[in-house]
Amino acid sequence: MSAYVTTLTIDGAIVAIVSIIIFALYLVLNSRKDLISKMANAEGYDSEGQFVRDYVAGKPRELGLSIFVNDDAKSLGMRYIVTSLFFFFIAGAFGLTMRLSLTSPNPSLLTPDEYNVLLTEHATLMIYMWAVGSALGFGYYLLPSHLKVFRDIRGVFSSIGYWLWLLGGALILVSHSSVRWYFYPPLSLQLNQNGGGLYAWLSVLGIEILFVGLIITSITILFIILFDRSPEVKRNQFTLFTWSIIFTIIMILVSSPPIMVGFALLFYDYFNPIFFTAASHSVLLFTILFWFWGHPIVYIAIIPYFGLIYEIIPKFTGKQIFSYKSGVIGLGLLLILSELVWGHHLFNSGLGFAWVLFFSTTSFLVVIPSAITIFNYIASLWSAERIRITTPMLFVINGIIDFIIGGVVGVMQSAFPVNADVHGTYVITGHFHFIFLGITTGISFAAFYMLFPTLSGGRKYDVKLARLHFYFTAAGSMLMSSAWLLGGFLGMPRATAGYFPFFQPYQLASIAGGFIIGIGQIFFLWNMGKSWLKAPSVDNQNCLEQVNVISTEMTGGAQ
Amino acid sequence: MSDKKGRNLEIYFMAAVIVILFSSAVMNYVEMSEHPNAVATDAPTPPAGSYVIHVVATQWEWTFIYPNNTTSAGAFSVPVNREITLIVTSMPSEQGPGVIHDLYIPQMDVQVYAVPGQNNSVTFEPTHTGSYYFECVEYCGEYHYEMRGYMEVVAQ
Ligand code: HEM
Ligand SMILES: [Cu+2]
Ligand SMILES: [Cu+2]
Repeated sequence: MSAYVTTLTIDGAIVAIVSIIIFALYLVLNSRKDLISKMANAEGYDSEGQFVRDYVAGKPRELGLSIFVNDDAKSLGMRYIVTSLFFFFIAGAFGLTMRLSLTSPNPSLLTPDEYNVLLTEHATLMIYMWAVGSALGFGYYLLPSHLKVFRDIRGVFSSIGYWLWLLGGALILVSHSSVRWYFYPPLSLQLNQNGGGLYAWLSVLGIEILFVGLIITSITILFIILFDRSPEVKRNQFTLFTWSIIFTIIMILVSSPPIMVGFALLFYDYFNPIFFTAASHSVLLFTILFWFWGHPIVYIAIIPYFGLIYEIIPKFTGKQIFSYKSGVIGLGLLLILSELVWGHHLFNSGLGFAWVLFFSTTSFLVVIPSAITIFNYIASLWSAERIRITTPMLFVINGIIDFIIGGVVGVMQSAFPVNADVHGTYVITGHFHFIFLGITTGISFAAFYMLFPTLSGGRKYDVKLARLHFYFTAAGSMLMSSAWLLGGFLGMPRATAGYFPFFQPYQLASIAGGFIIGIGQIFFLWNMGKSWLKAPSVDNQNCLEQVNVISTEMTGGAQ
Repeated sequence: MSDKKGRNLEIYFMAAVIVILFSSAVMNYVEMSEHPNAVATDAPTPPAGSYVIHVVATQWEWTFIYPNNTTSAGAFSVPVNREITLIVTSMPSEQGPGVIHDLYIPQMDVQVYAVPGQNNSVTFEPTHTGSYYFECVEYCGEYHYEMRGYMEVVAQ
């Protein structure tokens, strides 16, 4: 227990130092803001916010510290993009540390408790801070251009949403909880090292705050789409990315209220355990509330990226997407059907025949829109005369392949007889890492590379390093996830700090894969550092913000 | 690829996907009806003639209570060629409260949650003697990974 107090004190000190630095930066930027306000007055504006937003609206924006004080949509977008990247590297380092400890069948580098803490934080931060954060980032950044918004007036709400989301993530990070990303009680109510950790309650509080931020942000983006877009952009002219963000937001708003109530009741239980206890016979109730959100969240982490793929492909094939209509229908059906499958995470908990049958059947149905979407991508690529194989395009092609593998495993584990054999094993881990690394992570990087000339104010990224980044990420995740699938089919349990020695070959293969991915990310960081130091040499436009521009000349700085 | 050709191809492709999904759904239904797994019951009534073992999960040990009321911890044995019913629940121990666990015996296709305040039952029939590993596959706290062991299937 005293170890906890020490770590928390150290964390507290780090947080305090970081806060002081941020405050100093804030003071500097604030004095600059005074300057802006003088300029605004000179131009006849009442509010400097409005002045800045008008001044920057629709113009390419560069990455800089000012994005943390300006609250126009593009700044918000960049805030989310850089913050989510930051958390990607933190959570990724946690993942690699876990792998390192698993080199031996008995916990080596980490104690079981440390392993469990990293397990919890890796998953929670990757999902809520990386996958969701980066989707919101591209939403904020691209939508104003795609919808030609005529006013940018919701900065205050957007900013509140962002800071709450960040505060929630930070609280989860410092809570050192070991509740896993499920937060299942009674484990999460067990406030010691045996269970959820001394400060598990702090992570419950953190995630609740994060949700409040997420809801505010979602409503704000929806308002931007509905009320701030240029009247000349009709509904049937929305880009597929816009549709994907609309569907994602509907999904967030529909699926999160039950689990927010669930977390509130869980928090209540810390003071007076009456809701999710053995005596109340309602332990499984929390798991149901959780998965009612837990399945949609994995689609929230995928639909925006499906939308981005639709935007990326035409830029490098020089041709419109195969079918706009199937694109919208596919993503829309994905939204509706994936609200109905959450029970497939609880097949072996005792739901009973009727429920299990219902959820496995709906899980088969959800494959239909996924197949429509994948067909649409492949048909678009197939019918193109010529595909420019740029780094973003490589990420897209790899993402499609990874999604097909992950999706096929998904259907297999939706069959109840198969599920009894794979639930709780590394098969599941393999299933979603194929998708999270191939689509969520790969497409984020693809879009980031395409935005690079704009974000960096007219610089080019180094193509060789970008290729290396791609090949290491793709090959590493293929090795890691395949090894997990194979080991999992033999019964290798996931979420364990140690394992039966006969699983070691599969663990070692996946660890090798994990480290190959890690090396790939070093190429990315190196590339960013190197390219940012060079002088601007290209114009700062990017093609991702341009709508319906498909001529091959208009491919911006993406190579 | 002309528009019409592409459209037709899309229809054929989707039809094939739907046929595959439909047959999977039917197979799923048939299999499930034959081998129901993990059924929750308040007062379990195991099938007559079944060899019933009560399984209690605690942090971090599996305890098996045989029909003759003897108990075994961390490992258990069952007779071959006989229908076995496990009735599984979770209880507090001196380490902590009853939390959710999940008993998984890969080679028997058996998987069942141990939920505090609930009894889940599962039935299977081993056909070969030998030793089979089992493990806990629902994260249950610090020493979750140690909740594993062997089930011996012995001649009657
Ligand atoms: C093609 C359609 C899909 C089907 C039929 C499907 C099916 C399933 C099933 C049945 C499970 C439960 C496995 C178990 O624990 O027993 C599962 C788990 C999971 N799926 Fe999928 N899935 C699909 C697509 C996706 C997508 C697009 C994502 C997004 C990344 C995703 C992410 C996950 C995650 C993260 C889990 C594990 C949750 C956990 O236990 O921690 N799946 N999937
Ligand atoms: Cu799911
Ligand atoms: Cu366990």
